[in-house]
Amino acid sequence: MTSDQLTRPAVRFTGKPMPRKEDDRLLKAQGEFGDDTPVAHLAYVVFVRSPYAHARITSIDVSAAERVDGYLGCLLPDEVEQLTEPYVELQGPPADVEVDRCLASGGVVRFSGEPVVAVAASSREAARDAAAAVVVDYTPLPHVVDARSAVLPDAPQVHEQIGSNVAFDALYDWGDIDFALENADHVIEVDELHFHRFSSTPLECGVVTVEYDAGVDTFTFTGGFATPQLATFNLAVALRHPANRLRVLSKDFGGSFGVKLNTHIPATAAALLARKLGRPMRWTETRSEHHLMGGHGNERWFRDVKMAVQSDGTVLGLSYDALDDVGAYTRYEPLGGVIWTQVANACYQLKHLKVRYRSIYTNKGPVHPNRGYSRMQHMWLVERMMDIAAHKLGFDPVEFRLRNYVQPDQYPYTTVNGCVYDSGDLPLSLRKALDLIDYPGARRLQRELAGTGKRIGIGIGSTLDSGTNNFAQARLLNAHLPFGGNTEGALVRLGADGSVYATTGGVAFGQGHETTVAQVVADMLGVAYDHVHVQRGSDSSLSAQTGFSGSYASQFAVTGIAAMINATKRLIREISLVASSVLKCEPEEIELADGAARVRTDPERALPLAAVAGIVHFSPVDLPPEVAEEVGLVARSVYRAPFELPDLDRKYGNLTLTYATQIHACVVEIDEETGHTKLLRYAMVDDCGTPINPMVIEGQVHGATVHGISAALFEHFAYDEHGQLAAGNFYDYHAATALDLPSFGYDSVVSPSPFTPIGAKGMGEGGGAPLHALSAAIQDAIGTQGMVLASFNPPERVLQLLRGLDAEKVQVLR
Amino acid sequence: MTEINVIVDGKQETGAVQDRTLLVHWLRDSLDKRGPKIGCDTGNCGACTVRWDGQLVKSCMVLAVQADGGTVETAASLSEEDGSLNRLQQCFKDHHALQCGYCTSGMLMTATDFLCSGEPVTEEATRRALKGNVCRCTGYHNIVRAIRAAAEETP
Amino acid sequence: MILPPIQYLRPATPADAVATLSEVDGSVVLAGGQTLLNVLKLDLAHPAALVDVHRIDALRGVRHTEDSALVIGAATTYAELASSPDVRRTHPEVADMAAGLVDRQVRNRGTIGGNCCLNDPTNNFPPLLAALDARFRILGVAGERVLRADEFFLGTLTTAVGRAELLTAIEIPALPTGSVVAHEHLQVGADSWALARAVVRLDVTDHVVTDARVVLGAVYGSPLRLSDVERMLVGSAPAALPEVELDLDTADDVHGSAAYRREMAEVQLRRAVRAAVERSGR
Repeated sequence: MTSDQLTRPAVRFTGKPMPRKEDDRLLKAQGEFGDDTPVAHLAYVVFVRSPYAHARITSIDVSAAERVDGYLGCLLPDEVEQLTEPYVELQGPPADVEVDRCLASGGVVRFSGEPVVAVAASSREAARDAAAAVVVDYTPLPHVVDARSAVLPDAPQVHEQIGSNVAFDALYDWGDIDFALENADHVIEVDELHFHRFSSTPLECGVVTVEYDAGVDTFTFTGGFATPQLATFNLAVALRHPANRLRVLSKDFGGSFGVKLNTHIPATAAALLARKLGRPMRWTETRSEHHLMGGHGNERWFRDVKMAVQSDGTVLGLSYDALDDVGAYTRYEPLGGVIWTQVANACYQLKHLKVRYRSIYTNKGPVHPNRGYSRMQHMWLVERMMDIAAHKLGFDPVEFRLRNYVQPDQYPYTTVNGCVYDSGDLPLSLRKALDLIDYPGARRLQRELAGTGKRIGIGIGSTLDSGTNNFAQARLLNAHLPFGGNTEGALVRLGADGSVYATTGGVAFGQGHETTVAQVVADMLGVAYDHVHVQRGSDSSLSAQTGFSGSYASQFAVTGIAAMINATKRLIREISLVASSVLKCEPEEIELADGAARVRTDPERALPLAAVAGIVHFSPVDLPPEVAEEVGLVARSVYRAPFELPDLDRKYGNLTLTYATQIHACVVEIDEETGHTKLLRYAMVDDCGTPINPMVIEGQVHGATVHGISAALFEHFAYDEHGQLAAGNFYDYHAATALDLPSFGYDSVVSPSPFTPIGAKGMGEGGGAPLHALSAAIQDAIGTQGMVLASFNPPERVLQLLRGLDAEKVQVLR
Repeated sequence: MTEINVIVDGKQETGAVQDRTLLVHWLRDSLDKRGPKIGCDTGNCGACTVRWDGQLVKSCMVLAVQADGGTVETAASLSEEDGSLNRLQQCFKDHHALQCGYCTSGMLMTATDFLCSGEPVTEEATRRALKGNVCRCTGYHNIVRAIRAAAEETP
Repeated sequence: MILPPIQYLRPATPADAVATLSEVDGSVVLAGGQTLLNVLKLDLAHPAALVDVHRIDALRGVRHTEDSALVIGAATTYAELASSPDVRRTHPEVADMAAGLVDRQVRNRGTIGGNCCLNDPTNNFPPLLAALDARFRILGVAGERVLRADEFFLGTLTTAVGRAELLTAIEIPALPTGSVVAHEHLQVGADSWALARAVVRLDVTDHVVTDARVVLGAVYGSPLRLSDVERMLVGSAPAALPEVELDLDTADDVHGSAAYRREMAEVQLRRAVRAAVERSGR
């Protein structure tokens, strides 16, 4: 008997498109989102925010607010400085002296929209009126909104005490790019490319409810927390409060996409008010507020980009200088400065890569992780350079990619920096994607429409979705950070009635974890899918969680499911122990099927799980003492991802466990008179290893695709020269609607991961492939008369491209 | 404060509201109606969509006092009487037309209105009907499929 | 998202509405509210009171005069215009415009009067109504006055409707036989607010353009009538426009630069003329 037989008697649900357990409550308007939860005696928090990008606060007058009927109290920056510790900074010196708090610190506001005062009142209306009555006087300070200006010697300083606007500065140098550039047949040089600022903007904005129970000196936080244990840790430090007297809960929440990793910041202010005023506090972010500070994706400038290419089409490598605009506070940054190296090679067999990477403060909203976090920026650049090289050197864009892709027989493939790509079949994925858009037909259409005022462009986007971080990569950023590897926890128990209860360490906001967990657990325990109850959301006080618990970085299918498998194995051992003692056999002879534990060789000898539970919960005297003492039918386990510490000097080592691949292909039609881009066909091929629920996977792919399409064509968190956000709501920030999009073509390839328990890979982020594909499609439509050097291509820019924009910034040196 | 009387999801409700109170806030805060959600502050996202006197509206762009004497249906009214999913809801489930679920109630209200309108349920018309409802999870593809499937199954 | 404190008033008749507007300081008309309530949510305006005219019967619905002019009550919704057989029969361009406006939900609440009185440069109706020679009936305490489009639309978010006045109806004359109207616009996304809009009306008799209206939207504070272009079109057979360069004083915004908007106005103008010419040939 192998352990596989023990744990997986029959696969009935895993791998199938099982209907989601979450759906009924959501379809019947019975979900419980952050602002839904009724709380007795609830009060409301509204932030007074800075209208300036950079200013010194000269005075704060709350006297008019105090006169508002329903006003309860407020929180001022001075009070926050007395009562809280600054949030933990990840960066080392000199930028580690940055001070970040829930209200503007040091008497200075550093971005437009930064909270200055938190006002509490007994109704939403009173909170609004009181906040509107607060008068804050400012003395404007010089500000900087462009990372390229921020690194100039005379630039205004976002954090004066640091002495520069550089939060992080690192040189990554793998292979020998200088030699490659000297000796390659061809060298392409591009002056500058720009990856723009946007965000996945979850439809539910930030919301948190804080209740303080003075009797036990405990805060309970309810809201969207994507990393509940890290949030608990951050809140404990900031509030100077023991972590064991903080409880962080999530119920249903309306999307995160990485953005809700920082809910602890407004939660800190709400907690201080809850304790001070003795009432539960709720902060509900408005859309406009969310756009100001809910978390933008990283904006990045790539400068002095050089790529070395052989005459046979082999790409040797590239070098560039990156300026990553992190906004006014680092928060999760500058982790982005190492996270991108998970995909250093992108999809290609690069041998040489040299990047100087700097994280730069500007007087803009702080960036937060955002779907495809930091990797999509680098992969867009590599994919763009591949595309530019193909166009400028005359290679067929399909053949050029196929030649340079990591090939199926090369897995596991070690990248220039020691990351190990686990599995994949990029050439097959690309062929399938091209079939879905009818590539030859699209090329025909392109020829037919030439000269009609419409141009057809065909684009390919190759990307990776690296999942399950090795958090030791944080030490590449700052050797003193005590992080390494990755863990997730899970709890499975057999209730008194024989029902199965599963609690994940993670938390879901649309990914269907209740569903996928139930599929796997039901199969392992041989029970019906409906028999497994999976806890909604998350609760930091349940022991399911570990330090890294949460849903981020494309990992649940690996870490969450593996932890659940480990816990379920423990439960099976306990069930087998009980059943064997009742059925008078050895535990190893027990198998689980049809809701019962039975003797494998004599299935008639069976004990229903309800009976197993009944004995343990209600009649342990029926068990031998050594079994009764051993068995609780509560199994908790942790999955530890198999990682080692990287070599910090060489910045070399495996940083991620799995690499899902996505190949996208699209056909666009460009109006030559307006520059308007219309999507005619769009297809994506996903390979995330062994699927747990293919329906859920396809849904994630669709969602990530639309985030990318919308970002490439519509969404831009542009700031004006005064540091004011120009796209402050959904009117000016156009999130794609159904009408903006075509139906999708979808296919999949299954390359099981050799490194994960069931061969699955994390895949929710998607790697930004539509940005790559649309840039390439627009380039294809335009030819080489203009060069696509920006990730955001609204009609005006496309029209300029048709007229030669940026052509001079690309040079074929050889 | 103004007293209002509104039939909400078939039940006569009485409330005292400020003149400035939006219908969505009254439905959510006073009646614990969780169908209408707030996803924006400019009337773009459609998460708060309800039917008011038989007409599809965004309840963030109606004052609660305006609804006095009227009838409002939220997504909570859509299920069958025995609490099971109605045809459209079932199609949403079958086609994985929801992920986080935050936009779902608004989508269902709009889709219901569209399906009742007698307009042909083509791909283009379905996408046009959904124009006032933003979803950030699904990419709309499965929502369109679900609505079209519901139309096909309608006897 | 929470509105500033405000008083809600609901007069029963147009005269009551005007009286209320004149009596209550800081009061403004609430029609469909599909823009005004958003403006209030975003704290961009702080009127003291909202005078709801949406349910005043006299302001709702459409009718035709004896000479076939279409009279539209100012509080008539887009949905009502889109579904009205009467409107479609005599003024299909009005029905089409209403049917494509914003989205399903907003069409059920938004009114043509609100669309005009707001006069947001990106709004659909002002340029169309200007091209159709619409008349705007405004009721004040002292009585009614009737204005032409060029008198009504005064600039960005500004019209001739005074503080204690109410737009009650919009009257659109019957189009002469042989008249064609075409509308073209460039939007953000597949169908969202406009970057540039052009409406062209050609009155054609015996294959000769006898009169023309050429109006731009979204590029200027008010609908911009291009008399020079109209003169180029009148007096000959309907024909596409030669290259025109417009001298427009427009501004940058988040969706495009002034230069781009200007050029797009020219493109939409050419396209609208071309569409009108094609239509006149049918």
